[in-house]
Amino acid sequence: MASHYEAPIRKPLVTGNKTYHQISVDVAKPIEGNANKQWWIVFSISLVLFIWGVGCMIYTISTGIGVWGLNKTVGWAWDITNFVWWIGIGHAGTLISAVLLLFRQKWRMGINRSAEAMTIFSVMQAGLFPLIHMGRPWLAYWVLPIPNQFGSLWVNFNSPLLWDVFAISTYLTVSLVFWWTGLLPDFAMIRDRAVKPFQKKIYSLVSFGWSGRAKDWQRFEEISLVLAGLATPLVLSVHTIVSFDFATSVIPGWHTTIFPPYFVAGAIFSGFAMVNTLLIVMRKVCNLEDYITLQHIELMNIVIMITGSIVGCAYITELFIAWYSGVEYEQYAFLNRATGPYWWAYWAMMTCNVFSPQLMWFKKLRTSIIFSFVISIVVNIGMWFERFVIIVTSLHRDYLPSSWTMFSPSFVDIGIFIGTIGFFFVLFLLYARTFPVIAQAEVKTILKSSGDNYKKLRDK
Amino acid sequence: MNQEKKYWKSEIELKPNSAIDQLRNNEFTEKLPVDENIFTNDSINNAQTDRRDFLKYLGFSTTAAVLASCEGPVHKSVPYVVQPDRIIPGIANYYATTLYDGYDFANVLVKTREGRPIKIENNKLSSYNGYANARLNASILGLYDSGRVQGPTINQQDVSWENFSNNIKAQLSSLKSLNQPVVLLTSTINSPTSKKIISEFINKYPNIEHIEYDSISESSTLDAHELMYGLRALPYYDFQNAKCIVSIGADFLGDWQGSNYDHDYVKGRIPNKNNGKASMSKHIQIESNMSITGSNADLRVPLSLSDQKLFLAHLYKKISGDSSSIQSISGDLVKKVNYTAEHLLSNPSQSVVVCGLDDLSAQIITNRINDLLNTNVKSKTKVSLARNGSDSKVNSLLNRIKKGDIKGLIMSGVNPCYTLSNSNDFAETLKKLNFSVTFSMKIDETAINSSHVAAIPHQLESWGDFEFINGEYSLTQPTIKPLFDTKQFEDCLLSWSESQSSFYDKIRENWKNNILDSSQKWNSSLHDGVYSSNSTINLNSNNLQYSTYLSKLGSINNDGYDLIMYSKIGMGDGQQANNPWLQEFPDPLTRVSWDNYITVSKFDAEKIGLKNYNESNGALNSNYAKIKLNETELKVPVIIQPGQAKGTVGLAFGYGREIGIKDEMKTGVNAFKLYKDFSKSQKVTLSSVFEIHEFACVQLHNTLMGRGDIIKETTLDIYNSKDKEYWNPIPKVSKNHIETPVNSSEVDMWTEFDRSIGHHFNLSIDLNACTGCGACVIACHAENNVPVVGKEEVRKSRDMHWLRIDRYYSSEDNFSSDIEKKENISGLGESLSIFGEMEQPSDNPQVVFQPVMCQHCNHAPCETVCPVAASAHGRQGQNHMTYNRCVGTRYCANNCPYKVRRFNWFLYNNNNEFDFHMNDDLGKMVLNPDVVVRSRGVMEKCSFCIQGTQSVILKAKNEGREVEKNEFNDAVACSAACSTGALQFGDINNKESEVYKRKQDDRVYHLLEYVGTKPNVFYHTKVRNIDKNKSI
Repeated sequence: MASHYEAPIRKPLVTGNKTYHQISVDVAKPIEGNANKQWWIVFSISLVLFIWGVGCMIYTISTGIGVWGLNKTVGWAWDITNFVWWIGIGHAGTLISAVLLLFRQKWRMGINRSAEAMTIFSVMQAGLFPLIHMGRPWLAYWVLPIPNQFGSLWVNFNSPLLWDVFAISTYLTVSLVFWWTGLLPDFAMIRDRAVKPFQKKIYSLVSFGWSGRAKDWQRFEEISLVLAGLATPLVLSVHTIVSFDFATSVIPGWHTTIFPPYFVAGAIFSGFAMVNTLLIVMRKVCNLEDYITLQHIELMNIVIMITGSIVGCAYITELFIAWYSGVEYEQYAFLNRATGPYWWAYWAMMTCNVFSPQLMWFKKLRTSIIFSFVISIVVNIGMWFERFVIIVTSLHRDYLPSSWTMFSPSFVDIGIFIGTIGFFFVLFLLYARTFPVIAQAEVKTILKSSGDNYKKLRDK
Repeated sequence: MNQEKKYWKSEIELKPNSAIDQLRNNEFTEKLPVDENIFTNDSINNAQTDRRDFLKYLGFSTTAAVLASCEGPVHKSVPYVVQPDRIIPGIANYYATTLYDGYDFANVLVKTREGRPIKIENNKLSSYNGYANARLNASILGLYDSGRVQGPTINQQDVSWENFSNNIKAQLSSLKSLNQPVVLLTSTINSPTSKKIISEFINKYPNIEHIEYDSISESSTLDAHELMYGLRALPYYDFQNAKCIVSIGADFLGDWQGSNYDHDYVKGRIPNKNNGKASMSKHIQIESNMSITGSNADLRVPLSLSDQKLFLAHLYKKISGDSSSIQSISGDLVKKVNYTAEHLLSNPSQSVVVCGLDDLSAQIITNRINDLLNTNVKSKTKVSLARNGSDSKVNSLLNRIKKGDIKGLIMSGVNPCYTLSNSNDFAETLKKLNFSVTFSMKIDETAINSSHVAAIPHQLESWGDFEFINGEYSLTQPTIKPLFDTKQFEDCLLSWSESQSSFYDKIRENWKNNILDSSQKWNSSLHDGVYSSNSTINLNSNNLQYSTYLSKLGSINNDGYDLIMYSKIGMGDGQQANNPWLQEFPDPLTRVSWDNYITVSKFDAEKIGLKNYNESNGALNSNYAKIKLNETELKVPVIIQPGQAKGTVGLAFGYGREIGIKDEMKTGVNAFKLYKDFSKSQKVTLSSVFEIHEFACVQLHNTLMGRGDIIKETTLDIYNSKDKEYWNPIPKVSKNHIETPVNSSEVDMWTEFDRSIGHHFNLSIDLNACTGCGACVIACHAENNVPVVGKEEVRKSRDMHWLRIDRYYSSEDNFSSDIEKKENISGLGESLSIFGEMEQPSDNPQVVFQPVMCQHCNHAPCETVCPVAASAHGRQGQNHMTYNRCVGTRYCANNCPYKVRRFNWFLYNNNNEFDFHMNDDLGKMVLNPDVVVRSRGVMEKCSFCIQGTQSVILKAKNEGREVEKNEFNDAVACSAACSTGALQFGDINNKESEVYKRKQDDRVYHLLEYVGTKPNVFYHTKVRNIDKNKSI
């Protein structure tokens, strides 16, 4: 493990004169205490939205995809937009826990638990869309390469949708295992503190018999590294493969080789924004300001600023390549994006994704909690529009002008999207009340090096 | 060696062993765990059912009872007890017959499966009317219309035919004895036998007068012909060898005098380089509304009605040398007259003028021009007998009915309560008659007002004979036993005239005695469906005072707007308004389905305040226009029509039906209300009404945006003088900085398999030959069980047609200027404004039709993206769609550059939300048993009619022969239905086949070739007969 020395110029990552015991108390507090009124209000709203979304899904599956606003020209719209959006959001968690682990970025310890929870919950939302967007979702298992009695029928390994199936299920599995591994010592801590027998039983079960022996810790460290190594390529692969859904097609505006890096950058961008959105609220509500400090938020803002700039660069490259290609369909597709009937979506995307993160160059702004919160929401709106722009504006006017048409969502389209937001928050709110939301075992490892009281002691 | 063989089960049997014997004799060596005497055992008899057992039995029996009560749906099907020798299940039978509904007619083949007609096809043996249009193709659905009248009624009470006939006979006899007049009002009767029966009927009841009434009258043409040639008939034109065709308001490719001219017309429009240089006819169209004829013309001049008449008058003066003075025309128009006259006179015997104006003088002048040209195009020996109605007779009848002079009315094939402009008055007077009989398949507007309704069979259940063109006879035969208790009009007349013979007997007798020559047999005529006697007539023109007619053309009235009423390809005169296929059929020009509307020029629309605009989902809306003609006011939705002459508006007949049709089909407004004095043109006033109308339009973008590789075009001059590379280059892509043709294997990332083995299907589409008539669209609909989705769904751009005919307008004067304009864009700013401009069609645009169906790409983008491999490639070149494997991700549709894939958004059969023919048992009889009805959630698309090609292959195999060279063409619905040969389907591995020959043509190109999809559908560059150098 790292030494207990940290350079004095680094800002402390744990503030408020914490002791080990206090960390345990602080982390266990939301679980051991009762939910406050605000929690119940937000939870109820989320639950209502979720139920409404479930209703819309049932309506879709029982009646037909026709209840959405799709048509013969625009075969995907909100469904796949939402899918890519949620998958993108799900990117930050693994990046924070795996990549930052490999790079020994200790500030990740305050946020990785929630970021990973967010990943898993948003991948769950994302996974819903490929299922329900099918005309016959009850046959969804046909996309799995399982032995069957239909003769020699097999899945089509050429199809990017099939790659999606593998990429997303792998990602979800690895993320879940990684998350749970990290949770083990923390669950054990809760278990050890628990006084109610039921609670004790549950936490004993989920902590898989963690005993805190040195061997446990050694294995814990090893598995964390192995999983981090496994998860890191996944961070790149998942959104690369999602981008193949578009990049391998022949539709102008989709058929673009820049998509893989562009999508990955966009995903990290939106994922960090979502982490910011969630944690800014959570640190306040759960009194975790000492663990998720302003510095954490500032660092995330910097990531947002950098990935936002990459995304902006990609947008401009797309435009340039369209012009440079000399292909009239390609040129028209991009002209139509920016100035066609959906110009407002394009410019909403440009404003939210390219212009707004540039404000983070100002230290004053990126260290402002309110501003960070606003920008984090703006970025996710922008990233939703990015996917909408790519999907709908490319499809609605492609090759043959005779097929050109427009798309307008139905109440079901909107209902399902809102439903997944509800579902996400239901999960996240339940998580916040039952899971240790800070990786306390890991935070304890840096307390002596990066805790403000210890730092002060050293400075003296 | 007769010794019995002994088989050993194992070697142990060699040695005698008692254990083996024991085993052999006793299968179960150990004691079975069953009581010795199970039924006598006291323990069972005395056993008690304890609580657990009771619950087990209860649970089991309840489950069993519940399961037993869940009954699966019962489909009653009755097998043949004695199989008819002509019907083999799974094999289609074809019968030649003739369809005539008083408006449309054609000699056709009817495809029947297990005794049930399922499709109309063309009769190739017929030399004149062998091609069914879209409406006739769709008419088969009328047979299975659940709203048909199922038996005769008197005052809305069901009666037996005997009572019905007795009642009528009593009425007729009493009126006969009082000598009170009765009128027999029918559509044009062009059946020689029916004519005889009617005259016999009139002999029996001399108080009956027979009047023929055409819903859309051609009276002025008939009158003109009668005046000039002494014969009441329509001129017949033979466009095959025409070099110059000038049409003044005649939509002869669409709906004109029951025309069937497109086949002949197109023969002169295909530039075949037989001896190095291709030639084409020149087609000049003068018209107000944009018609499909006008859109196929080389020069189209949109003119108001009075200008059309003046144009004709000046053209006549130019050709005849007549010097009488008439009102002058603008300089520009003079040029056009001169240009037209020049073309007519350059080859007078092969030039013709046709005229569609409802004006006696115009018709006489037109005939005169043709006589002066001494043209061979207007037939000198044949006339068309398709229409015979007389406006003056109908008018006098209406007056007499109104005055009460007529006591009884027998109507057949007409629906005057819908088609008369004063239909309400007529309906009132009907009620005052002693009796009124309507022969009808539906309780329509007239039937509901008649005292007697005689249920008639559908044409496919009827006998009949026809003579549409003098000397050209055809027969109608039933293809199915009447579904309901119906009787034909002629059979009724025979029974009312106390004749013992049936209509069928009469036809045979008449044909034997009067029509067939001695060598010709009835059976072979019935088999062929047509019989051509060599009888001709000689048309000698009377001398008329042409100058008086000429001066009448000059008198014009310029107040208000010219309303030009026309009939739409999809709806005709409205008889088939209850046909969902036709309602959903998009108009070839406006591409609007489920509606009629006024077409108005952009100029006038802005003046009056009429608008078209799109909603957020693209759906087309308009406000309403109020049309006022004297006291009649109609509120009509509006389509701004490029090419509409300023000061004119168009409105289609056939819509606004109210009675006897399903609610969904009650679309549009009834234009017959404005059909005063049987004139298709009226002077009206227009104003805008602030109220929104919702259209169901399948094509929301009208222009080609300068995308020259979608429609390739050239002019005849260039085609004749330049290399293919100049006017039809193969697109090139760069590989290692070398320009490589896109069809080269160098730029192909796939390994090609050997396609020279077996059949390899290709479909050829000649853009020069396609007139946009839409027969293929309906044929495809019928063949492939394509669902009807209804107005609301079409409005959401969810039409299901597997085959569509895209129509593009040019944004500049012509398409080549569009391309030029696009290519000359410099800079971003200009591209923004110019692409905006290119979305707007020109005021008088060039038009092009392009049939698009699945292109069956050899490198299909849809195939690679399907996760479950539901879209796969066939060895014969087809791109297959496996419905039952499809999970419905729609990725294939998104990735299709041609957007031909159609998704089942809902369940379209057995669903009350889609109450069309697939929702009732009768309507479902039209379904093709060879094609599966798709469930919801799956993708579907054109299959190249694989059921047809496979049956051809099987047939050839059974007969032990090779497939004939063009046999596949007729197995595919669209190419079989095409009257002009624009669509040609076949096997390109057969070097003899027509499609192979077509593929070698220089005009061949593939749609979006540069994408590299390698389609199996190819198009032929459109060649226009335009001389660019001459400004006109």
